[in-house]
Amino acid sequence: MKKTLYIFSNGQLRRKDNTIFFMNEEGEQKYIPVEDTAELMVFGEVDINKRFLEFCSQQEIIVHYFNNYGYYSGTFYPREHYNSGYMILRQAEAYLNMESRVSLAQKFVTGAAQNIRQVLKYYQNRDKEVGRQLQEIEELSTKIKETCDISVLMGIEGNIREYYYKAFDVIHGQSEFVFEGRSKRPPQNAMNTLISFGNSIVYSTVLSEIYKTHLDPRIGYLHATNFRRFSLNLDIAEIFKPILVDRVIFTLIGKKMISKRDFKKDSGGLMLKENGRRVFVEELENRLKTTITHRGIGNPVSYRRLMRLELYKLEKHLMGESVYEPFVTQW
Amino acid sequence: MDDFEFNITGTHIWYYYCCPREVWLMLHQVNPDEDDANMDLGRFIHEMTYGRDKSKEISLGNIRLDIVRQDKEGLVIGEVKKSSKYLKSARMQLAFYLAELKRRGIEATGELLFPKEKKKESVTLTADIEKELMKAIAAIHCIAAESRPPQARKIGLCKNCAYKEFCWA
Repeated sequence: MKKTLYIFSNGQLRRKDNTIFFMNEEGEQKYIPVEDTAELMVFGEVDINKRFLEFCSQQEIIVHYFNNYGYYSGTFYPREHYNSGYMILRQAEAYLNMESRVSLAQKFVTGAAQNIRQVLKYYQNRDKEVGRQLQEIEELSTKIKETCDISVLMGIEGNIREYYYKAFDVIHGQSEFVFEGRSKRPPQNAMNTLISFGNSIVYSTVLSEIYKTHLDPRIGYLHATNFRRFSLNLDIAEIFKPILVDRVIFTLIGKKMISKRDFKKDSGGLMLKENGRRVFVEELENRLKTTITHRGIGNPVSYRRLMRLELYKLEKHLMGESVYEPFVTQW
Repeated sequence: MDDFEFNITGTHIWYYYCCPREVWLMLHQVNPDEDDANMDLGRFIHEMTYGRDKSKEISLGNIRLDIVRQDKEGLVIGEVKKSSKYLKSARMQLAFYLAELKRRGIEATGELLFPKEKKKESVTLTADIEKELMKAIAAIHCIAAESRPPQARKIGLCKNCAYKEFCWA
Protein backbone atom coordinates (compact mmCIF):
# COMPACT_ATOMS: atom_id res chain seq x y z
CA MET A 1 0.00 0.00 0.00
CA LYS A 2 1.31 3.44 -0.94
CA LYS A 3 2.11 5.81 1.87
CA THR A 4 1.14 9.25 3.06
CA LEU A 5 3.95 11.71 3.51
CA TYR A 6 3.62 14.54 6.02
CA ILE A 7 5.73 17.65 5.63
CA PHE A 8 5.89 19.82 8.73
CA SER A 9 8.99 21.89 8.08
CA ASN A 10 9.39 24.78 5.67
CA GLY A 11 11.28 24.35 2.45
CA GLN A 12 11.08 23.50 -1.22
CA LEU A 13 9.40 20.64 -3.04
CA ARG A 14 10.86 19.86 -6.45
CA ARG A 15 10.88 17.24 -9.09
CA LYS A 16 14.39 15.90 -9.39
CA ASP A 17 14.99 13.40 -12.18
CA ASN A 18 12.18 10.92 -11.66
CA THR A 19 11.42 11.46 -8.06
CA ILE A 20 10.36 14.11 -5.56
CA PHE A 21 12.96 16.06 -3.71
CA PHE A 22 12.46 18.06 -0.54
CA MET A 23 14.89 20.57 0.91
CA ASN A 24 14.12 22.25 4.20
CA GLU A 25 15.18 25.70 5.40
CA GLU A 26 18.34 24.31 6.98
CA GLY A 27 19.35 22.87 3.62
CA GLU A 28 18.66 19.30 4.66
CA GLN A 29 17.80 17.25 1.56
CA LYS A 30 15.51 14.32 1.21
CA TYR A 31 14.34 12.20 -1.70
CA ILE A 32 10.78 10.95 -1.56
CA PRO A 33 10.18 7.53 -3.15
CA VAL A 34 7.58 8.39 -5.73
CA GLU A 35 6.44 4.84 -6.47
CA ASP A 36 5.55 4.41 -2.86
CA THR A 37 3.73 7.69 -2.24
CA ALA A 38 0.01 8.22 -2.67
CA GLU A 39 -0.40 11.63 -1.07
CA LEU A 40 1.45 14.51 0.47
CA MET A 41 0.13 16.43 3.46
CA VAL A 42 1.87 19.76 3.58
CA PHE A 43 1.80 21.69 6.86
CA GLY A 44 4.95 23.77 6.46
CA GLU A 45 5.54 26.76 4.21
CA VAL A 46 6.60 25.01 1.06
CA ASP A 47 7.59 26.41 -2.32
CA ILE A 48 6.48 24.40 -5.30
CA ASN A 49 6.61 24.88 -9.05
CA LYS A 50 4.65 23.72 -12.07
CA ARG A 51 7.16 21.04 -12.94
CA PHE A 52 6.56 19.52 -9.53
CA LEU A 53 2.77 19.65 -9.90
CA GLU A 54 2.95 18.13 -13.38
CA PHE A 55 5.02 15.33 -11.98
CA CYS A 56 2.45 14.77 -9.20
CA SER A 57 -0.28 14.63 -11.83
CA GLN A 58 1.62 12.10 -13.85
CA GLN A 59 2.29 9.98 -10.78
CA GLU A 60 -1.27 10.44 -9.51
CA ILE A 61 -0.06 11.92 -6.26
CA ILE A 62 -2.54 14.15 -4.50
CA VAL A 63 -1.26 17.12 -2.47
CA HIS A 64 -3.19 18.48 0.50
CA TYR A 65 -2.11 21.68 2.14
CA PHE A 66 -2.94 23.06 5.53
CA ASN A 67 -2.67 26.60 6.84
CA ASN A 68 -0.77 27.91 9.79
CA TYR A 69 -3.42 26.60 12.19
CA GLY A 70 -3.25 23.12 10.77
CA TYR A 71 -6.59 23.70 9.11
CA TYR A 72 -7.28 22.21 5.73
CA SER A 73 -6.88 24.88 3.08
CA GLY A 74 -6.88 23.06 -0.22
CA THR A 75 -5.87 20.17 -2.40
CA PHE A 76 -4.01 19.76 -5.63
CA TYR A 77 -6.33 17.16 -7.12
CA PRO A 78 -4.62 15.76 -10.23
CA ARG A 79 -6.75 15.07 -13.27
CA GLU A 80 -9.11 12.18 -12.73
CA HIS A 81 -7.76 8.78 -13.65
CA TYR A 82 -10.83 6.76 -12.84
CA ASN A 83 -13.22 8.46 -15.17
CA SER A 84 -16.66 6.99 -15.55
CA GLY A 85 -19.31 9.15 -17.15
CA TYR A 86 -21.82 6.52 -16.12
CA MET A 87 -20.94 6.86 -12.43
CA ILE A 88 -20.96 10.68 -12.48
CA LEU A 89 -24.46 10.63 -13.95
CA ARG A 90 -25.68 8.17 -11.30
CA GLN A 91 -24.09 10.30 -8.60
CA ALA A 92 -25.76 13.45 -9.86
CA GLU A 93 -29.05 11.63 -10.38
CA ALA A 94 -29.10 10.55 -6.73
CA TYR A 95 -28.37 14.13 -5.73
CA LEU A 96 -31.12 15.64 -7.84
CA ASN A 97 -33.76 13.20 -6.64
CA MET A 98 -34.66 14.59 -3.22
CA GLU A 99 -35.88 11.27 -1.89
CA SER A 100 -32.68 9.44 -2.73
CA ARG A 101 -30.52 12.35 -1.59
CA VAL A 102 -32.23 12.41 1.81
CA SER A 103 -32.00 8.66 2.23
CA LEU A 104 -28.24 8.78 1.66
CA ALA A 105 -27.83 11.77 3.95
CA GLN A 106 -29.77 9.85 6.62
CA LYS A 107 -27.40 6.92 6.21
CA PHE A 108 -24.37 9.11 6.82
CA VAL A 109 -25.89 10.65 9.94
CA THR A 110 -27.00 7.23 11.17
CA GLY A 111 -23.52 5.82 10.61
CA ALA A 112 -21.96 8.72 12.49
CA ALA A 113 -24.45 8.35 15.37
CA GLN A 114 -23.91 4.61 15.61
CA ASN A 115 -20.16 4.97 15.72
CA ILE A 116 -20.48 7.69 18.34
CA ARG A 117 -22.65 5.32 20.31
CA GLN A 118 -20.01 2.59 20.05
CA VAL A 119 -17.31 4.94 21.34
CA LEU A 120 -19.48 5.92 24.31
CA LYS A 121 -20.41 2.28 25.01
CA TYR A 122 -16.75 1.41 25.05
CA TYR A 123 -16.13 3.98 27.78
CA GLN A 124 -19.31 3.04 29.63
CA ASN A 125 -17.91 -0.47 29.86
CA ARG A 126 -14.83 1.10 31.42
CA ASP A 127 -16.97 2.66 34.14
CA LYS A 128 -17.15 6.16 32.70
CA GLU A 129 -20.42 7.86 33.49
CA VAL A 130 -21.69 8.60 30.03
CA GLY A 131 -25.07 6.89 30.38
CA ARG A 132 -27.07 10.08 30.19
CA GLN A 133 -25.35 11.24 27.00
CA LEU A 134 -25.80 7.81 25.50
CA GLN A 135 -29.49 7.93 26.21
CA GLU A 136 -29.89 11.41 24.73
CA ILE A 137 -28.03 10.34 21.60
CA GLU A 138 -30.17 7.25 21.18
CA GLU A 139 -33.31 9.34 21.46
CA LEU A 140 -32.02 11.83 18.92
CA SER A 141 -31.04 9.00 16.60
CA THR A 142 -34.65 7.90 16.28
CA LYS A 143 -35.42 11.30 14.74
CA ILE A 144 -33.01 10.78 11.85
CA LYS A 145 -35.45 8.57 10.00
CA GLU A 146 -38.38 10.90 10.59
CA THR A 147 -37.12 13.92 8.73
CA CYS A 148 -36.96 14.49 5.01
CA ASP A 149 -35.21 17.82 5.23
CA ILE A 150 -31.44 17.97 4.86
CA SER A 151 -31.03 21.03 7.08
CA VAL A 152 -33.07 19.41 9.85
CA LEU A 153 -30.86 16.37 9.45
CA MET A 154 -27.77 18.52 9.83
CA GLY A 155 -29.37 19.97 12.95
CA ILE A 156 -29.93 16.54 14.47
CA GLU A 157 -26.36 15.66 13.64
CA GLY A 158 -25.20 18.81 15.40
CA ASN A 159 -27.29 18.02 18.48
CA ILE A 160 -25.92 14.50 18.64
CA ARG A 161 -22.39 15.89 18.54
CA GLU A 162 -23.25 18.39 21.26
CA TYR A 163 -24.26 15.60 23.65
CA TYR A 164 -21.33 13.54 22.52
CA TYR A 165 -18.84 16.31 23.22
CA LYS A 166 -20.35 16.73 26.69
CA ALA A 167 -19.16 13.22 27.41
CA PHE A 168 -15.57 14.05 26.50
CA ASP A 169 -14.64 15.63 29.85
CA VAL A 170 -16.05 12.60 31.68
CA ILE A 171 -14.07 10.23 29.48
CA HIS A 172 -10.61 11.74 29.89
CA GLY A 173 -11.15 13.56 33.22
CA GLN A 174 -8.33 16.04 32.69
CA SER A 175 -8.88 19.68 33.50
CA GLU A 176 -6.46 21.04 30.91
CA PHE A 177 -8.52 19.49 28.12
CA VAL A 178 -11.99 20.64 29.20
CA PHE A 179 -14.26 20.98 26.20
CA GLU A 180 -16.25 24.21 26.91
CA GLY A 181 -18.31 24.08 23.73
CA ARG A 182 -17.23 23.73 20.14
CA SER A 183 -15.15 26.58 18.74
CA LYS A 184 -13.66 26.75 15.29
CA ARG A 185 -11.62 28.98 13.05
CA PRO A 186 -9.69 29.43 15.20
CA PRO A 187 -10.37 26.92 18.00
CA GLN A 188 -10.34 28.50 21.42
CA ASN A 189 -9.02 25.71 23.60
CA ALA A 190 -6.87 22.61 23.48
CA MET A 191 -9.66 20.06 22.97
CA ASN A 192 -11.16 22.05 20.10
CA THR A 193 -7.74 22.42 18.52
CA LEU A 194 -7.25 18.66 18.64
CA ILE A 195 -10.70 17.95 17.18
CA SER A 196 -10.22 20.42 14.34
CA PHE A 197 -6.76 19.18 13.53
CA GLY A 198 -7.81 15.53 13.47
CA ASN A 199 -10.93 16.23 11.43
CA SER A 200 -8.89 18.14 8.84
CA ILE A 201 -6.67 15.15 8.28
CA VAL A 202 -9.58 12.75 8.04
CA TYR A 203 -11.32 14.99 5.47
CA SER A 204 -8.26 14.97 3.26
CA THR A 205 -7.64 11.26 3.78
CA VAL A 206 -11.16 10.48 2.57
CA LEU A 207 -10.64 12.85 -0.35
CA SER A 208 -7.53 10.89 -1.34
CA GLU A 209 -9.57 7.71 -1.27
CA ILE A 210 -12.29 9.29 -3.41
CA TYR A 211 -9.59 10.11 -5.94
CA LYS A 212 -9.07 6.36 -6.29
CA THR A 213 -12.71 5.72 -7.12
CA HIS A 214 -15.08 6.77 -9.89
CA LEU A 215 -16.90 9.24 -7.67
CA ASP A 216 -16.79 13.01 -7.97
CA PRO A 217 -15.82 14.59 -4.64
CA ARG A 218 -17.88 17.70 -5.40
CA ILE A 219 -21.21 15.90 -5.18
CA GLY A 220 -22.09 15.13 -1.58
CA TYR A 221 -25.49 14.34 -0.12
CA LEU A 222 -25.51 15.51 3.47
CA HIS A 223 -23.14 18.43 3.15
CA ALA A 224 -24.37 21.05 0.74
CA THR A 225 -22.98 20.77 -2.73
CA ASN A 226 -22.23 23.98 -4.49
CA PHE A 227 -19.95 22.37 -7.06
CA ARG A 228 -17.10 24.61 -6.05
CA ARG A 229 -15.74 22.70 -3.14
CA PHE A 230 -15.42 19.11 -2.10
CA SER A 231 -18.25 17.75 0.01
CA LEU A 232 -18.53 14.00 -0.51
CA ASN A 233 -15.42 13.54 1.63
CA LEU A 234 -17.16 15.41 4.45
CA ASP A 235 -20.12 13.03 4.23
CA ILE A 236 -17.99 9.91 4.43
CA ALA A 237 -15.73 11.41 7.10
CA GLU A 238 -18.74 11.77 9.44
CA ILE A 239 -18.79 8.01 9.82
CA PHE A 240 -15.09 7.74 10.60
CA LYS A 241 -14.46 10.78 12.77
CA PRO A 242 -15.65 9.19 16.05
CA ILE A 243 -13.68 5.99 15.62
CA LEU A 244 -10.53 7.58 14.24
CA VAL A 245 -10.09 11.17 15.45
CA ASP A 246 -11.87 11.05 18.79
CA ARG A 247 -10.35 7.75 19.86
CA VAL A 248 -6.90 8.97 18.92
CA ILE A 249 -7.48 12.12 21.00
CA PHE A 250 -8.44 10.04 24.04
CA THR A 251 -5.32 7.93 23.59
CA LEU A 252 -3.07 10.96 23.17
CA ILE A 253 -4.24 12.74 26.28
CA GLY A 254 -4.87 9.58 28.28
CA LYS A 255 -1.28 8.45 27.79
CA LYS A 256 -0.06 12.02 28.20
CA MET A 257 1.51 11.98 24.76
CA ILE A 258 0.20 15.50 24.26
CA SER A 259 0.06 18.11 27.01
CA LYS A 260 -0.67 21.79 27.42
CA ARG A 261 2.93 22.54 26.40
CA ASP A 262 2.24 21.34 22.86
CA PHE A 263 -0.06 24.28 22.15
CA LYS A 264 0.60 27.92 21.50
CA LYS A 265 -1.58 31.03 21.33
CA ASP A 266 -1.87 32.58 17.94
CA SER A 267 -4.01 35.47 16.69
CA GLY A 268 -7.11 34.82 18.69
CA GLY A 269 -6.86 31.05 18.81
CA LEU A 270 -4.92 28.10 20.07
CA MET A 271 -2.82 25.98 17.77
CA LEU A 272 -0.77 22.81 18.00
CA LYS A 273 2.98 23.20 17.81
CA GLU A 274 4.95 21.15 15.35
CA ASN A 275 5.86 18.45 17.82
CA GLY A 276 2.23 18.04 18.90
CA ARG A 277 1.22 17.72 15.26
CA ARG A 278 3.82 15.06 14.65
CA VAL A 279 2.68 13.03 17.64
CA PHE A 280 -0.97 13.35 16.61
CA VAL A 281 -0.32 12.42 13.00
CA GLU A 282 1.78 9.44 13.96
CA GLU A 283 -0.94 8.09 16.23
CA LEU A 284 -3.63 8.70 13.61
CA GLU A 285 -1.52 6.98 10.96
CA ASN A 286 -1.13 3.99 13.27
CA ARG A 287 -4.87 3.90 13.66
CA LEU A 288 -5.42 4.15 9.90
CA LYS A 289 -3.08 1.22 9.38
CA THR A 290 -4.78 -0.92 12.02
CA THR A 291 -6.61 -3.78 10.39
CA ILE A 292 -9.85 -5.53 11.19
CA THR A 293 -11.21 -8.67 9.58
CA HIS A 294 -13.84 -8.15 6.94
CA ARG A 295 -16.33 -10.92 6.38
CA GLY A 296 -17.09 -10.18 2.75
CA ILE A 297 -13.55 -9.73 1.55
CA GLY A 298 -12.00 -12.47 3.63
CA ASN A 299 -8.76 -10.77 4.59
CA PRO A 300 -7.78 -8.05 7.04
CA VAL A 301 -8.70 -4.53 6.00
CA SER A 302 -7.17 -1.33 7.36
CA TYR A 303 -9.25 1.62 8.51
CA ARG A 304 -7.95 3.59 5.55
CA ARG A 305 -9.13 0.80 3.29
CA LEU A 306 -12.49 0.79 5.04
CA MET A 307 -12.94 4.34 3.76
CA ARG A 308 -12.43 3.06 0.22
CA LEU A 309 -14.88 0.22 0.82
CA GLU A 310 -17.40 2.78 2.02
CA LEU A 311 -17.03 4.54 -1.33
CA TYR A 312 -17.38 1.28 -3.22
CA LYS A 313 -20.59 0.57 -1.29
CA LEU A 314 -21.82 4.01 -2.26
CA GLU A 315 -21.01 3.32 -5.91
CA LYS A 316 -22.98 0.11 -5.79
CA HIS A 317 -25.86 1.97 -4.20
CA LEU A 318 -25.78 4.53 -7.00
CA MET A 319 -25.68 1.74 -9.58
CA GLY A 320 -28.85 0.33 -8.05
CA GLU A 321 -27.10 -2.85 -6.97
CA SER A 322 -27.32 -2.85 -3.22
CA VAL A 323 -28.59 -0.33 -0.72
CA TYR A 324 -25.79 1.54 1.04
CA GLU A 325 -25.37 0.72 4.71
CA PRO A 326 -22.75 2.65 6.68
CA PHE A 327 -19.85 0.98 8.42
CA VAL A 328 -20.42 0.56 12.14
CA THR A 329 -17.55 -0.52 14.34
CA GLN A 330 -18.07 -3.56 16.53
CA TRP A 331 -16.03 -2.36 19.47
CA MET B 1 -27.37 3.45 -21.05
CA ASP B 2 -28.75 1.30 -23.82
CA ASP B 3 -27.56 3.42 -26.68
CA PHE B 4 -23.94 4.10 -25.92
CA GLU B 5 -21.33 3.14 -28.44
CA PHE B 6 -18.38 0.95 -27.79
CA ASN B 7 -15.94 -1.28 -29.56
CA ILE B 8 -15.49 -4.76 -28.30
CA THR B 9 -11.89 -5.41 -27.42
CA GLY B 10 -9.91 -8.53 -26.63
CA THR B 11 -10.15 -7.72 -22.96
CA HIS B 12 -13.93 -7.86 -23.14
CA ILE B 13 -13.77 -11.31 -24.71
CA TRP B 14 -11.32 -12.43 -22.05
CA TYR B 15 -13.56 -11.24 -19.24
CA TYR B 16 -16.71 -12.55 -20.85
CA TYR B 17 -15.49 -16.08 -20.31
CA CYS B 18 -14.26 -15.43 -16.75
CA CYS B 19 -16.73 -13.00 -15.27
CA PRO B 20 -19.53 -11.24 -17.19
CA ARG B 21 -19.87 -8.77 -14.34
CA GLU B 22 -16.41 -7.52 -15.09
CA VAL B 23 -17.42 -6.98 -18.73
CA TRP B 24 -20.30 -4.76 -17.65
CA LEU B 25 -18.13 -2.76 -15.24
CA MET B 26 -15.42 -2.26 -17.87
CA LEU B 27 -17.99 -1.14 -20.41
CA HIS B 28 -19.26 1.47 -17.98
CA GLN B 29 -15.72 2.71 -17.26
CA VAL B 30 -16.00 1.50 -13.71
CA ASN B 31 -12.37 0.45 -13.86
CA PRO B 32 -10.70 -1.82 -11.35
CA ASP B 33 -8.31 -0.70 -8.63
CA GLU B 34 -5.04 0.10 -10.41
CA ASP B 35 -3.04 -0.30 -7.22
CA ASP B 36 -3.99 -3.92 -6.85
CA ALA B 37 -0.89 -6.08 -6.45
CA ASN B 38 -1.95 -8.46 -9.19
CA MET B 39 -2.38 -5.60 -11.62
CA ASP B 40 1.21 -4.65 -10.90
CA LEU B 41 2.37 -8.21 -11.43
CA GLY B 42 0.58 -8.36 -14.78
CA ARG B 43 2.12 -5.08 -15.88
CA PHE B 44 5.52 -6.26 -14.73
CA ILE B 45 5.32 -9.50 -16.69
CA HIS B 46 4.13 -7.57 -19.69
CA GLU B 47 7.04 -5.15 -19.52
CA MET B 48 9.81 -7.53 -18.60
CA THR B 49 9.20 -10.43 -20.96
CA TYR B 50 9.79 -10.88 -24.67
CA GLY B 51 11.94 -7.77 -24.82
CA ARG B 52 13.63 -9.05 -27.95
CA ASP B 53 10.44 -8.99 -29.96
CA LYS B 54 10.99 -5.49 -31.14
CA SER B 55 7.68 -5.18 -32.86
CA LYS B 56 5.66 -6.03 -29.75
CA GLU B 57 2.56 -4.05 -28.88
CA ILE B 58 0.81 -3.17 -32.06
CA SER B 59 -2.51 -1.36 -31.96
CA LEU B 60 -4.89 -1.93 -34.79
CA GLY B 61 -8.24 -0.24 -34.30
CA ASN B 62 -9.78 -1.84 -31.26
CA ILE B 63 -7.25 -4.62 -30.91
CA ARG B 64 -3.91 -4.49 -29.21
CA LEU B 65 -1.43 -7.20 -29.97
CA ASP B 66 1.30 -8.03 -27.48
CA ILE B 67 3.67 -9.58 -30.01
CA VAL B 68 3.69 -9.73 -33.81
CA ARG B 69 6.25 -11.92 -35.57
CA GLN B 70 6.89 -13.06 -39.14
CA ASP B 71 7.69 -16.79 -39.18
CA LYS B 72 8.50 -19.09 -42.09
CA GLU B 73 4.88 -20.23 -42.08
CA GLY B 74 3.51 -16.72 -41.95
CA LEU B 75 2.39 -14.10 -39.46
CA VAL B 76 2.21 -15.09 -35.79
CA ILE B 77 0.58 -12.97 -33.13
CA GLY B 78 1.34 -13.60 -29.48
CA GLU B 79 -0.64 -12.87 -26.35
CA VAL B 80 1.22 -12.88 -23.02
CA LYS B 81 -0.63 -14.21 -19.97
CA LYS B 82 0.27 -14.43 -16.33
CA SER B 83 -0.98 -17.98 -15.99
CA SER B 84 -2.67 -20.69 -18.01
CA LYS B 85 -5.46 -20.99 -15.46
CA TYR B 86 -8.08 -19.40 -17.65
CA LEU B 87 -7.15 -21.09 -20.87
CA LYS B 88 -10.57 -20.88 -22.44
CA SER B 89 -10.68 -17.10 -21.94
CA ALA B 90 -7.17 -16.69 -23.26
CA ARG B 91 -7.88 -18.81 -26.32
CA MET B 92 -10.99 -16.89 -27.18
CA GLN B 93 -9.26 -13.56 -26.74
CA LEU B 94 -6.54 -14.56 -29.16
CA ALA B 95 -9.09 -16.04 -31.55
CA PHE B 96 -10.86 -12.71 -31.48
CA TYR B 97 -7.66 -10.98 -32.58
CA LEU B 98 -7.22 -13.53 -35.36
CA ALA B 99 -10.78 -12.95 -36.49
CA GLU B 100 -10.29 -9.19 -36.48
CA LEU B 101 -7.14 -9.56 -38.56
CA LYS B 102 -8.98 -11.86 -40.94
CA ARG B 103 -11.68 -9.25 -41.32
CA ARG B 104 -8.95 -6.91 -42.46
CA GLY B 105 -7.64 -9.52 -44.90
CA ILE B 106 -4.69 -10.67 -42.83
CA GLU B 107 -4.08 -14.38 -42.28
CA ALA B 108 -2.26 -15.21 -39.07
CA THR B 109 -1.87 -17.85 -36.41
CA GLY B 110 -1.83 -17.24 -32.70
CA GLU B 111 0.39 -18.17 -29.84
CA LEU B 112 -0.51 -17.96 -26.17
CA LEU B 113 2.56 -17.31 -24.07
CA PHE B 114 2.91 -18.07 -20.38
CA PRO B 115 6.40 -16.83 -19.51
CA LYS B 116 6.09 -17.63 -15.82
CA GLU B 117 5.23 -21.22 -16.63
CA LYS B 118 7.58 -21.38 -19.64
CA LYS B 119 4.66 -22.64 -21.69
CA LYS B 120 3.20 -21.89 -25.11
CA GLU B 121 0.04 -22.89 -26.87
CA SER B 122 -0.89 -22.26 -30.47
CA VAL B 123 -4.34 -21.14 -31.49
CA THR B 124 -5.83 -21.24 -34.96
CA LEU B 125 -9.09 -19.82 -36.10
CA THR B 126 -11.59 -22.52 -37.04
CA ALA B 127 -15.16 -22.18 -38.26
CA ASP B 128 -16.42 -23.45 -34.89
CA ILE B 129 -14.39 -20.93 -32.94
CA GLU B 130 -15.56 -18.15 -35.24
CA LYS B 131 -19.14 -19.13 -34.62
CA GLU B 132 -18.58 -19.15 -30.90
CA LEU B 133 -16.96 -15.72 -31.07
CA MET B 134 -20.02 -14.32 -32.83
CA LYS B 135 -22.17 -15.64 -30.00
CA ALA B 136 -19.88 -14.15 -27.36
CA ILE B 137 -19.92 -10.76 -29.08
CA ALA B 138 -23.71 -10.80 -29.22
CA ALA B 139 -23.83 -11.75 -25.54
CA ILE B 140 -21.48 -8.89 -24.63
CA HIS B 141 -23.80 -6.47 -26.38
CA CYS B 142 -26.65 -7.85 -24.29
CA ILE B 143 -24.65 -7.40 -21.07
CA ALA B 144 -23.80 -3.85 -22.08
CA ALA B 145 -27.47 -3.03 -22.56
CA GLU B 146 -28.38 -4.09 -19.02
CA SER B 147 -28.96 -1.18 -16.66
CA ARG B 148 -27.17 -2.98 -13.85
CA PRO B 149 -24.18 -5.27 -13.78
CA PRO B 150 -24.71 -9.01 -13.50
CA GLN B 151 -24.79 -9.95 -9.82
CA ALA B 152 -21.47 -10.73 -8.17
CA ARG B 153 -20.76 -14.42 -7.85
CA LYS B 154 -17.87 -15.69 -5.82
CA ILE B 155 -15.58 -17.58 -8.18
CA GLY B 156 -11.96 -18.66 -8.00
CA LEU B 157 -10.91 -15.56 -9.86
CA CYS B 158 -12.28 -13.23 -7.17
CA LYS B 159 -9.33 -13.98 -4.92
CA ASN B 160 -6.87 -12.23 -7.23
CA CYS B 161 -9.22 -9.79 -8.87
CA ALA B 162 -8.72 -6.03 -8.73
CA TYR B 163 -12.49 -5.68 -8.38
CA LYS B 164 -12.54 -7.87 -5.27
CA GLU B 165 -13.10 -5.04 -2.82
CA PHE B 166 -15.55 -3.34 -5.09
CA CYS B 167 -17.70 -6.46 -5.46
CA TRP B 168 -17.50 -7.69 -1.88
CA ALA B 169 -17.37 -4.49 0.17
